[in-house]
Amino acid sequence: MANYFNTLPLREQLAELAKCRFMNSSEFSDGVEALKGKKMVVIGCGAQGLNQGLNLRDSGLDVSYALRPEAIAQKRQSWKNATENGFVVGTYEDLIPTADVVLNLTPDKQHTPVVQAVMPLMKQGACLSYSHGFNIVEEGMKIREDLTVIMVAPKCPGSEVRAEYVRGFGVPTLIAVHEDNDPKGEGLALAKAYAVGTGGHKAGVLMSSFIAEVKSDLMGEQTILCGMLQTGSILCFDKMVEEGIDPGYASRLIQFGWETITEALKYGGVTNMLDRLSNPAKIKAFDLSEELKVIMRPLYNKHQDDIISGHFSQTMMEDWANDDKNLLQWRADTAETNFEKTPAGDVEISEQEFFDNGILMVAMVKAGVELAFETMTAAGIIAESAYYESLHETPLIANTIARKKLYEMNATISDTAEYGCYLYNHACVPLLADFMKDIKTDVIGKGLSVEDNGVDNKRLIEVNAALRSHPVEAVGAVLRGHMADMKKIV
Amino acid sequence: MDSLRLDNILFDKVTVNFDDRFTLSEIDWTIEPNQHWVITGTNGSGKSALAAVLAGVGDIENGTVTGLPKNVGLVSFEAQAELIAKELKKDDADIMDVISLGTPVHEMIFDNCRDPELAQTLVEKFGLSKLLDRAFRKLSTGETRKVMLIRALSSKPDLLILDEPFDGLDVDTLAMLQAHLASIIDTTPMILVLNRFDEMPDFITHVAYMDNGKLTITVDKQDENAFNELYQLLHLKTTDLSVPEADPANKLPALDPSQPLVKLNKATIQYGDTVIVDKLDWTIEQGQHWQLSGPNGSGKTGVLSLITGDHPQCYTNDIFVFGFQRGNGESIWQIKQFIGYVSTSLQWEYRVSTSCKNVIISGFYDSIGMYTKATDNQKKIADQWLELLGMKDRADQPFNKLSYGDQRLLLIARAMVKHPPLLILDEPCLGLDDMNRQLVLALIEKICEGKETTVLYVNHHAEDQIKGIENYLGLKKN
Repeated sequence: MANYFNTLPLREQLAELAKCRFMNSSEFSDGVEALKGKKMVVIGCGAQGLNQGLNLRDSGLDVSYALRPEAIAQKRQSWKNATENGFVVGTYEDLIPTADVVLNLTPDKQHTPVVQAVMPLMKQGACLSYSHGFNIVEEGMKIREDLTVIMVAPKCPGSEVRAEYVRGFGVPTLIAVHEDNDPKGEGLALAKAYAVGTGGHKAGVLMSSFIAEVKSDLMGEQTILCGMLQTGSILCFDKMVEEGIDPGYASRLIQFGWETITEALKYGGVTNMLDRLSNPAKIKAFDLSEELKVIMRPLYNKHQDDIISGHFSQTMMEDWANDDKNLLQWRADTAETNFEKTPAGDVEISEQEFFDNGILMVAMVKAGVELAFETMTAAGIIAESAYYESLHETPLIANTIARKKLYEMNATISDTAEYGCYLYNHACVPLLADFMKDIKTDVIGKGLSVEDNGVDNKRLIEVNAALRSHPVEAVGAVLRGHMADMKKIV
Repeated sequence: MDSLRLDNILFDKVTVNFDDRFTLSEIDWTIEPNQHWVITGTNGSGKSALAAVLAGVGDIENGTVTGLPKNVGLVSFEAQAELIAKELKKDDADIMDVISLGTPVHEMIFDNCRDPELAQTLVEKFGLSKLLDRAFRKLSTGETRKVMLIRALSSKPDLLILDEPFDGLDVDTLAMLQAHLASIIDTTPMILVLNRFDEMPDFITHVAYMDNGKLTITVDKQDENAFNELYQLLHLKTTDLSVPEADPANKLPALDPSQPLVKLNKATIQYGDTVIVDKLDWTIEQGQHWQLSGPNGSGKTGVLSLITGDHPQCYTNDIFVFGFQRGNGESIWQIKQFIGYVSTSLQWEYRVSTSCKNVIISGFYDSIGMYTKATDNQKKIADQWLELLGMKDRADQPFNKLSYGDQRLLLIARAMVKHPPLLILDEPCLGLDDMNRQLVLALIEKICEGKETTVLYVNHHAEDQIKGIENYLGLKKN
């Protein structure tokens, strides 16, 4: 198998990368009709598999689970998940031959063996669905020509996919049709019905392509989303302790700080996040982020280049073949960092204090979001995709750190994201070594100690204008407007 | 110089009989010097009776009342009626062949008066100067009331009891009386019986709430939350509001009246080898109110969630609900549209930062939070519910900033807003204090007055019963 993206001519590569459109809710007026009465068989019963299945069934669709014989025989967790929730469970041989839609909701690295096992069993003209396009785009899996291939990717962890549905809502969802595999031209109708079945249409659906999804998703998760937060956590913690700040306080400021400051990001973009700071602190954060962007830009470019060229997926797949040796080692190393090992102290930190004492963290989020967005759009990814894969998802990842630090983040995200996150972190920590030497507690840990809050008018106007005119703010304002309803929850 | 009496008045488990017409039972109450109380409650709750006990009326059958002062001034409709009856009797009893005019007003006021100077001032202020020679029994109701008030106020009472003193007074007189009462608070402890909270003078320090012959709640006015809740409770109990109409634009599909609402056939819930609910048969007919009870862990909530569609094993059971045999391609929203649901866990899950009004409107959509624009009519209906709850002024406040009890009330309104065929109240009073418990029950009673909703009330105490429920299902722990 060869990297699918690399087989395409540049013209098509660019066209696919640029696909992303926020769909109008009227496009979902047919509801789940296209899937009504069809037999949907889910492969894999982890968090995504189970929760998507629960939603689809509650939307009136026929859902069952195909598991490997050993999972059934040994009554593994996946078997328990499916049976305790009252689903029909069977082997691939039992269920796949009669399935109209097969939902592949296994982890990335199982896709190749799973699809190879399932494909020969699938009936003529059935549909194979993915939640992530890695297998098609990076591994170059060829799917039988009579089969329709679609992607429905809820942009939240499985537990939230379910929780939002039960509330009567949904999570933002990306759908795509693999154009090489749409023999009957029904791919879009099936993907839309599937998105309705999981509740995604209520929170907003993006019509994208397999390629745009993979290339933007990989870029976002390994740089700003996970990489930047991991590197930032480690550097900020060590700096505070070095400067004599109580480790318990430092640990709490970081663990819950990302969540608090990115909450402001979620509501009003980078502008609002910076507006939460005093004027002198805002200018300070702005200057730091400008410095960070200069230092880190080559790293963001390298990540994007490696993702586009397929170098990243190739090296990661080599590690898969090597029993995840690197991944497991890096995971163990992360558990040994001082930040990870220092429990959050029993101190009260007010919401505003997270901003005031975390100026550097604000600067890091701003630099990471803007760099990821700029790098993606420079690579041909359309602004909407870039927005979702950078700014939009940052608060979601920050929530996982608040729950249980880096361990929880890396446990929640996919192995693919985790692998990329470690790559980023290994490069970024040394890259910022000099920068960190000049950092003092005024920007991380204690806050600015200014006699008065005065600033130079001209400089403040420049900073405010620069913040507000960044392209991620323009597209963000539009997309957040579409999701006005969503602001009330999540 | 008058001074406040020093003893506490102490009611210790007092039961009082009033000529077998009415009984106050098990009253525990302490009135400290310097306190000024309002007794409130619905009509017939016993608030006037409690006030009368302070004036020595009624036969104490059980318990003790200590510390009652000797000189008690009492103004009430009952006392007024009694006085007038006495006057009329005098007339009957008059055997002389002269026309009796009855006792003149000046005699009523100034004979045995302890503070004639004050009485004179009050006569002028109340505008009774021209009536002093008139016979008391010839006065109008309002005028006799004024005479009663002057008598009581000028008797230098150790305790002044005024039962609905403001009823029927014109605005000027009312203001005058209020001002006078305010001027004597340092020398005269007062007990006011009031139906309406908005008439409560500022100097009142405590409120006693009577319900069905019992003193159920006492509130220190400085406890603002408790005070507001009591206000709401009284509002629900005493105002004559009816449950707002459903929204005609959100009309539910019609149900076949010949079919039951719910029919569980050998329903079973099982986790691994643990059976929680074992082969339960249960049919709920339309209009048949049920109470479901059982100890913790007996599967009450599990059974409910089989009905609501929230339990995943509803797909492996034989369940018929609202015309749907479950597991045949219906969506849970088609089921939920027929159900209003309130439980503690719903309240925990309802942690969105949305306004009180939106919480009510979300009942039209069976959602937690609002994800679509509400129609004008839905907003209007939500306003009516807020009015009913006595929460009109809090329409735009964030739900999660409300007290626990207020949240529960709003969620009941949310459940009822669409007038569902089935209302499930899963331990609706759980975690609520006494006052909120009464608030919630008052609201439920109000709802049960309507006909189209079948109520399913769940409680783990079988003895906690609601009026109008005649069918019981008790679950046992397996």
